[in-house]
Amino acid sequence: MSVFYSLTLIALAGLALLLLEAFDSKRALRYARDASLGLCLFVALRLLTGNLNCSSEALPSWVSPWLSFDPLAQTFVVLGLVSTALVLALLRIGESYIRQYTLGGSMSEFYAIPMIMAAAIGFMAAARDLVTVFVALELVTVSFYVLVSMARKSALCLEAGVKYLILGAMSTGVLVFGMAWIYGVCGTLEFSGIASALADPQIAKAPALLACGLMIAALGFKVAAAPFHVWVPDVYQGAPLPISAFLSVGSKAAGFVVLCRLLEGFLGAGSVVAAEVRQLLVILGGLTVLLGALPALHQSSVKRLLGFSSVSHAGFMILGLSSVAPGVTGTGLASFYLATYLPMTVLAFTVLTVMRAHEVGDDLSEIRGLSKRSPMLAFCLTVSMACLAGLPLSVGFLGKWLVLLGLAQAGQLAALVIALIAAACGFYYYFRPIVAAYSSSEEPRKAIEVSIPAAVLLVLLCAVVLVLGLYPAPLNGLLQLTGAPAAAALLR
Amino acid sequence: MITLQHYLWVSAALFCIGLAGVVARRNALVVYMCLEMMLSAANLTLVAFSRFGVRDGLPDVNAQALVFFTITVAAAEVAVGLAIILALFRAKQRIETDSVNALQG
Repeated sequence: MSVFYSLTLIALAGLALLLLEAFDSKRALRYARDASLGLCLFVALRLLTGNLNCSSEALPSWVSPWLSFDPLAQTFVVLGLVSTALVLALLRIGESYIRQYTLGGSMSEFYAIPMIMAAAIGFMAAARDLVTVFVALELVTVSFYVLVSMARKSALCLEAGVKYLILGAMSTGVLVFGMAWIYGVCGTLEFSGIASALADPQIAKAPALLACGLMIAALGFKVAAAPFHVWVPDVYQGAPLPISAFLSVGSKAAGFVVLCRLLEGFLGAGSVVAAEVRQLLVILGGLTVLLGALPALHQSSVKRLLGFSSVSHAGFMILGLSSVAPGVTGTGLASFYLATYLPMTVLAFTVLTVMRAHEVGDDLSEIRGLSKRSPMLAFCLTVSMACLAGLPLSVGFLGKWLVLLGLAQAGQLAALVIALIAAACGFYYYFRPIVAAYSSSEEPRKAIEVSIPAAVLLVLLCAVVLVLGLYPAPLNGLLQLTGAPAAAALLR
Repeated sequence: MITLQHYLWVSAALFCIGLAGVVARRNALVVYMCLEMMLSAANLTLVAFSRFGVRDGLPDVNAQALVFFTITVAAAEVAVGLAIILALFRAKQRIETDSVNALQG
């Protein structure tokens, strides 16, 4: 079976889930939701084991000019599917609390929309021109507007929705304007054409720089890069926890895959704007790590803290994109970082979701004494926070280390110092929740019973994070990924 | 004679007016109108580039195809956006953006 049809099937399954709501059968609905989670994992697994046909011949002739599933696309298809499956699992764990805030206790949109988004992330990763990218990216963004503001009975949720809507729509405007200028400068909307047009020394440089700047700004919004990150902490705090988790991995994956493809052209061999764009990326990345880390220092809400952490990690990924280290491509480094960031941040959100389902908030004061109430949750929180901070021998350390190494080799000393400061700050703000979890609280509080599905998910994520920290070899292949337009473009 | 430059200046002006409106205005509906203006500016740029980007004696229509997608997506965005603004109005009886300030820090 081809990967295109598998993704289409997932989108259709999402629609079917929405239709099932019309038949008032709670039981069938629950089975269907579990089945859709299984479908996502199944397709991801088949793709990982190489059982899905990704060649361009397997695509129907009417999509092959627009999509090509090269290794970079396959990686992001898997990332999208895995994050969707994890979010569906989180929704199931947190259902009892989210239900209180939706109209009529309805949950079907929460399960259906991520399925459609998983397909959209896949198509976006495989896109060969900006038109496909635009449609898929907007499918993801508009779906996020709905997901963020779906729990309407909560005022904070609605507020987060409005903020995300206005800033998201603004970034869409900037994105289309940037695309228009790319088209004006390069005369094409295809990635391969953009790369070859920018390599032409005759090209007008100032408009080309304007186009690149606009595109990077618009995508910077999607990946939560400073100075376009102002929405992140607010939206993360206001949205339901599983949706915040999806924002931190799904939205990032979507933005980064497009950024990787574009930068392949902007920074490609002979590109007239390469030096300026690289400098812009270093400045943007440096600013992002710092503006993510500094406000995080005094946060008392762990949800908001994870928002700032997401900004800071985005900064590291952008610094990685600008890297020129031998043997490691910028695209590969960013993909590697994202793949390691996914399990550790979802683990943190899982702990918070389980706590929230037991009516324990995400404030540091409420986390105090967690180790007495549930040693397992406290342990998982410790693991995830240590990884996010980048403790040596943890999975978070590798990505940070490679980024810092790349900066040192490129001689970007200012960015290196800033990244080191941000990483050092991380050790302070990520360890505050751990300290809170293991300190004793004054009043006795009742124990938290972790349900079996939640426990399975926690153990699984913990195992992945710990094993990858000690043995990262399975991810090494990601480091050589490149987003270079596939050779198939030449055949047409 | 109206040249490509004229179109580009007009669309750049539209884009800047839209951006200024998004940043400066407080009413969520007006902000949303300004967002639509930014998209229209981008569409105008696309069409202008497309009309003047002559290839083999014919205008290149690739960018005009993108305009149709942009219009469609903008309509979807408005549908969702107005629903969210309406929900906000029901909850607060106001649609000023400075009334949503509970999340900060």
